[in-house]
Amino acid sequence: MAGVMPMAWSVFFVLLFPGLLFTAAAGLAATWVDRKVTARLQWRVGPPLAQPLWDILKLMGKEVILPRGGNHGLFLAAPLFGLAAAAIASAIVWLPLLQGASFVGDVIVAVYLLVLPSLALMLGALASGNPLAATGASREMKLVLSYELPFLLCLVVAIVRSGFSISLTGIAAVPVVGSISGALAFLVSLLCIQAKLGFVPFDVAEAETEIIAGVYVEYSGAPLAVFKLTQAMLLVTLPVFLSAVFLGGLHFAGWGILWSILKIVGIIVLVIVIKNTNPRVRIDQAVRFFWHGLAPLAAVALALALVGRATGIGWL
Amino acid sequence: MSIPLPVLPVALPLAAGILVLIVPRALRWVHETLAALATTATLALAVILFLRGAPDVRLPLLEVGGFSLSLDLVPSALGSLMLLFAAGFGFLVALYSLPAMASSGRRRQFYAFLLLALGGSAGVFLADHLVVFLICWEIVTASLYFLISTGTPESKAGATKTFAMLGGADGCLLLGIGLLWFSVRTFSIGAIRVPAEGWLLAPAFLLMAAAAVTKAGSLPFHTWIPAASEGAPAAVMAFLPASVDKLLGIFLLVRLCTGIFVPGPAMGMTLMVVGAVTIVAAVLMAMVQHDLMRLLSYHAVSQVGYMVLGIGTLSPVGIVGGLFHMLNHSIYKSCLFLCGGSVARKAGTTDLDELGGLAGAMPVTFGAFLVAALAISGVPPLNGFVSKWMVYQGAIVAGGWAPLVFLVAAMFGSALTLASFVKALYAVFLGPPSLRTRAVAGEANILMVVPPVLLALLCVLFGVWYRFPLDVFILPAVGTPAGIFGVWDASLATVLIAVALLAGALVYLFGRMWRKARVADPFVGGERVPADRLRISGTRFYDTIRDLPLLRPLYRWQEGGIFDPYVLLGKAGAGVTWVLRRIHNGILPWYLAWSLLGILVLIALFALW
Repeated sequence: MAGVMPMAWSVFFVLLFPGLLFTAAAGLAATWVDRKVTARLQWRVGPPLAQPLWDILKLMGKEVILPRGGNHGLFLAAPLFGLAAAAIASAIVWLPLLQGASFVGDVIVAVYLLVLPSLALMLGALASGNPLAATGASREMKLVLSYELPFLLCLVVAIVRSGFSISLTGIAAVPVVGSISGALAFLVSLLCIQAKLGFVPFDVAEAETEIIAGVYVEYSGAPLAVFKLTQAMLLVTLPVFLSAVFLGGLHFAGWGILWSILKIVGIIVLVIVIKNTNPRVRIDQAVRFFWHGLAPLAAVALALALVGRATGIGWL
Repeated sequence: MSIPLPVLPVALPLAAGILVLIVPRALRWVHETLAALATTATLALAVILFLRGAPDVRLPLLEVGGFSLSLDLVPSALGSLMLLFAAGFGFLVALYSLPAMASSGRRRQFYAFLLLALGGSAGVFLADHLVVFLICWEIVTASLYFLISTGTPESKAGATKTFAMLGGADGCLLLGIGLLWFSVRTFSIGAIRVPAEGWLLAPAFLLMAAAAVTKAGSLPFHTWIPAASEGAPAAVMAFLPASVDKLLGIFLLVRLCTGIFVPGPAMGMTLMVVGAVTIVAAVLMAMVQHDLMRLLSYHAVSQVGYMVLGIGTLSPVGIVGGLFHMLNHSIYKSCLFLCGGSVARKAGTTDLDELGGLAGAMPVTFGAFLVAALAISGVPPLNGFVSKWMVYQGAIVAGGWAPLVFLVAAMFGSALTLASFVKALYAVFLGPPSLRTRAVAGEANILMVVPPVLLALLCVLFGVWYRFPLDVFILPAVGTPAGIFGVWDASLATVLIAVALLAGALVYLFGRMWRKARVADPFVGGERVPADRLRISGTRFYDTIRDLPLLRPLYRWQEGGIFDPYVLLGKAGAGVTWVLRRIHNGILPWYLAWSLLGILVLIALFALW
């Protein structure tokens, strides 16, 4: 019986707060920020705060169309798998920041869990049997490969800066961005989460004008709503993860609350501005950009961090 | 006099194997029964040995001068663990082979050498005498040659290459054992514990480690695995290169690093470099393969990198992670090869371009393949994730900048693994059916379905309740106390995934999806395209990456065999024989001139003496 209480708490953490329910609500709010900022950049008024919620609810009630010749079981299970992974990932990312509940190596677990929504998207798309979805899935996979390399290097910069700590609390205790290597790594990983979110200029997997929403092409109704909700959750979880890794974490006492929200919203707005001011790249351009451009930059940041650590120069 | 327990798992399969070779070819049922009974009995013996242990066996065989050969079998914790798994794989593969090899004309050869390889492996795991160890090791190598050549006619080339490379590695092992003996003057494995330094012991360590990583299939001596995969039966690939060869190679490596030798940091670094390079290089090759078996075989290479990297960190968590990864790899890789074999049997090919849409016809095989593919890609909460994560921790604990680079390589390799399995899943199971696969109806024989399913279940079990294999199998085997690594609550995460899936299903129900679901043709830009025109080749998924300026030459060189020691040595050998052939021109005066020259050299030597 000893394990029941912690188990119940964990279920609470993942399902209600800070996991599924809370992150979903925060995510919908974040998509509202996205739509509002986008609208203002385009000299429109933008939707009211509740609009993302209404959109999801409306999608839930819509007809679901299953593609003929596809694998329907996997097609319907994939969105749920992605949602579950996003919920657990956000619990693992939030909890150390909220109550210092961290375990050794949770950074690695978080990185793995944050790839799973993309994997779910690819499996669902491939299960649809649609050639456009298959094209989109292959692009999504290549995109994952592209941004993971610099993203991992940036993460290692943070690990080095925090004195080889591999727990989120340990890394969050150090404001990594307050050094040349840390700032460089933060900038690179900002572009990486742009791709992780599938935002322009890296929305090659969806690319409405080329492959008709690619990975999403066969999705409709409730499964599509689940995917949209997952994306919305990532729109919050990834900035929180970046704040934890690079910006010295979040604090929820006194003025810290305001400062923490500012960090998250700041990252979201940065991502949205990049999204609205750039054209889409081709997939091969994206791969080159990440592997030939950002990965060496991140490697330089790692070298600087190691030199700084070896020589004791804090600002490197 | 009763036969001591540790002798049985070695002697029984060897005797049964020889018996199968003797029994006439026509008595097919005798071969199959013998194989099934012997593997079952070996598994039972291995279980008893693992649970109860047994006293050491020391049977002196002969003594010549300073050399003494004796059959020393010591069931160590690690050895009996390895034996348990090897016997388990032997049992499952024998089960699978009953229908899978039913139409093969070389059944007798197959079952005989399957049993011999099992007996040889058991000998390796239990031997405490370096010469006995070497003999058993050779039995496995030779058996593998005969096993591979039971495949298609094209398998001969792969078998020869395998035998040449593994034979060369065995030569290294022999040389290493010789150097070791020269230095310590004993063959008793348990009694040796020397630092891997100095002009005798450092080469001895490197030679024996080279033999170990060749057996396991790590770079740079990995090329026999893809070559073997081209014609060998899937059961053979699943049994030896995918699982038991990994057990053997990593067993020796762990023995070398934690028992026989005390490796210094330089040796650890060498292993880590080998591991990290193996992970990335082999998986890059796997990504662009067009054949399912070759793709799987490159992963059988790449995954060794994690084991070697983990052991090379020389930290407890890294070594435990490396060993655990070895067990996990054996489980999911043999599952994948067995699924591949079922696909080959039903569709008649393993060419990815000619497969597709098998998820509908073979749902159980698809499920097993999917689980194993996610496990090998390190998707939590499956087993591959846990052991990789421990290897990563080992790399961080090892300290310094180089292990951090290896960490990035290993984690990135994991993403590349995922990529190539996404491609394989699409090309074999999910993509639209091809002309060949459209005719496939129904699963393979039940005996070909059960082993992969059992292995896939093990993937889930070892991932979700990973404390069980760690506490029961691995930690006692290496004598490391528990609690040395970070705790990731996998069973909790699984409950959570289940709960979240349930919640998601409720969301679906809330949307009253079932009432409104409707099946329609896929939407392709509004065109009405017949289904067979919808094929997007899975094999072209990663051409973008293949064509990158930095990688293109590497791929080209690889195809030219520049990274293949077999090809390189072959060319060097051809160069030498070319010179000799020029000398052998059949003209008598030339031969006389050479003889004269030889006599002159001899005279000069004697005169100077």
